[in-house]
Amino acid sequence: MGGDAFEVTVNLVKMAVIFLMMVQMVPILVWAERRGSAFIQNRFGPNRVGPLGLTQLLADAVKFIMKEEFVPGKATALLFYAAPVVALIPAALSLAAIPYSVPVHVEAFGEYGPYVFNIQGYEAGLGILFILSVSSLGAYSILMAGYGSANKYSLMGALRASAQMVSYELALSLSVIGVVLIYGTLNLSEIIKLQEGVKFGLPNWGILYQPLGFVLFFSCAFAECNRLPFDLSEAEGELVAGFHTEYGGFKMLLFFMGEYGHMMVASCLATIFYFGGYNIPYCTPTEVLQILETKFASSTVASLLTSLVFLISFLIKVGFFLWLFIWVRWTLPRFRYDQLMNLGWKKMLPWSLFNLILTAAAMLILKG
Amino acid sequence: MFSSYDIVFYLLALFALFSAFGVVTSASPIYSAFFLVLAMMDIACLFVMLGAFFIAGVQLIVYAGAVVVLFVMVLMLFNLHQETEAFSRGTISGMAKLGVTGLLCGILATTLFHFASTAKTIAAEIGPEESTEKLAKLLFSDYLFGFEAISILILVVAVGAVALSQLKGGTHAKS
Repeated sequence: MGGDAFEVTVNLVKMAVIFLMMVQMVPILVWAERRGSAFIQNRFGPNRVGPLGLTQLLADAVKFIMKEEFVPGKATALLFYAAPVVALIPAALSLAAIPYSVPVHVEAFGEYGPYVFNIQGYEAGLGILFILSVSSLGAYSILMAGYGSANKYSLMGALRASAQMVSYELALSLSVIGVVLIYGTLNLSEIIKLQEGVKFGLPNWGILYQPLGFVLFFSCAFAECNRLPFDLSEAEGELVAGFHTEYGGFKMLLFFMGEYGHMMVASCLATIFYFGGYNIPYCTPTEVLQILETKFASSTVASLLTSLVFLISFLIKVGFFLWLFIWVRWTLPRFRYDQLMNLGWKKMLPWSLFNLILTAAAMLILKG
Repeated sequence: MFSSYDIVFYLLALFALFSAFGVVTSASPIYSAFFLVLAMMDIACLFVMLGAFFIAGVQLIVYAGAVVVLFVMVLMLFNLHQETEAFSRGTISGMAKLGVTGLLCGILATTLFHFASTAKTIAAEIGPEESTEKLAKLLFSDYLFGFEAISILILVVAVGAVALSQLKGGTHAKS
């Protein structure tokens, strides 16, 4: 097998694994959401099917597949069918560009040369730009669903959702530029590498330099994912279910997967920009690798285990942010539409501009 | 013999032509806008093939992610009805259309013949490495005037659009 064919195969396998990972995370998150909401609201939640109700979602998935599949009478069939599929694409593509752990160095064995295996779907040189641009396409699936369903509630939900996503994208991107200014790169792996070590007795993470940026980024992320307190696009009290009113069965589940995928991307980005990515406080990847190399004879095994340790560290941080999404959803009430737009344009945008100018001025003074 | 690069390029180019053709020929304005998104994404892919990752990203964020979303939103709000014909008829307007198309083709051909060699040398000067930084330096130093002039042009277009829409016949007309 030639080198190129090998690369192509590895990348295809990685893409498949990352897509499956995203899809498989959804039942777990739905379970956490339902149990978590029950816990917050002093209820039981699903606790009958399997241990702790964990297999409830398996039963739900079977139910979703078995449901009757239909298109509303006046709907545009092409847009109606395409929308749920399009909903998955931005989240899956963004997740593939995120570095999950330190690369594994495989040593040469037999006739095969040494190989560096990145724990990342593909290395995008301008990772931040790639993820922001791909996830900005998420509005189209909602617009297609809203227009294709030929339903007033769907259309209103879709218009609200896309207006909200376009408005909050500005503040989100501006708060990310603060991070880009500090680290001077658009590459996610390099940003993580620059956050190694200790400063002022604390881990040298982005939140030390960008506390305001983190608050702005994370609140805008809620709006981008259409989650409460910004789920104006669904607003079941006013719009039945918003843009997915006419959807049922597995097509509805695909929208759910897209939403949870966006949550995962937002949590990963928050971790990478402000909480050191896969870094563990007070120890660097090289230190861990050295310790493991004394324990294991093969350097491949040591490298693999190091990668695993940092993967777990990354997943713990991401898991915390995912829980934060669920926590906020079941704690805060929904905004009114005018409040949402005021918050986006009159508060978030000026504050993120202020954050950007402050960061730029501080960089200019400190670095000369 | 085609290399894999050529095959991907021609596929993308064909798809770009197809979606651009869809923009002008679809009878429903919404479908036109969706075709426009496809064309934008396709052009972003072509930029990636040229190694211009920054421009590809900006193309996606600005055009596909913001401008066309606004188009689609406005079209949905107005609830425009499907046009019965894809093209409006008329001798004078037909001649004007042909003339404009000819002018555009002329501009394209002139650009290709005159600036292709200069573009190649400039591209070689900038180089593939760290192109974002060099692009920023070029934009904000040598080409600052052109850059700012274009943004004023966009402002003029926006003011003109508002003025036109308030004339009679427009949706926001002062009756």
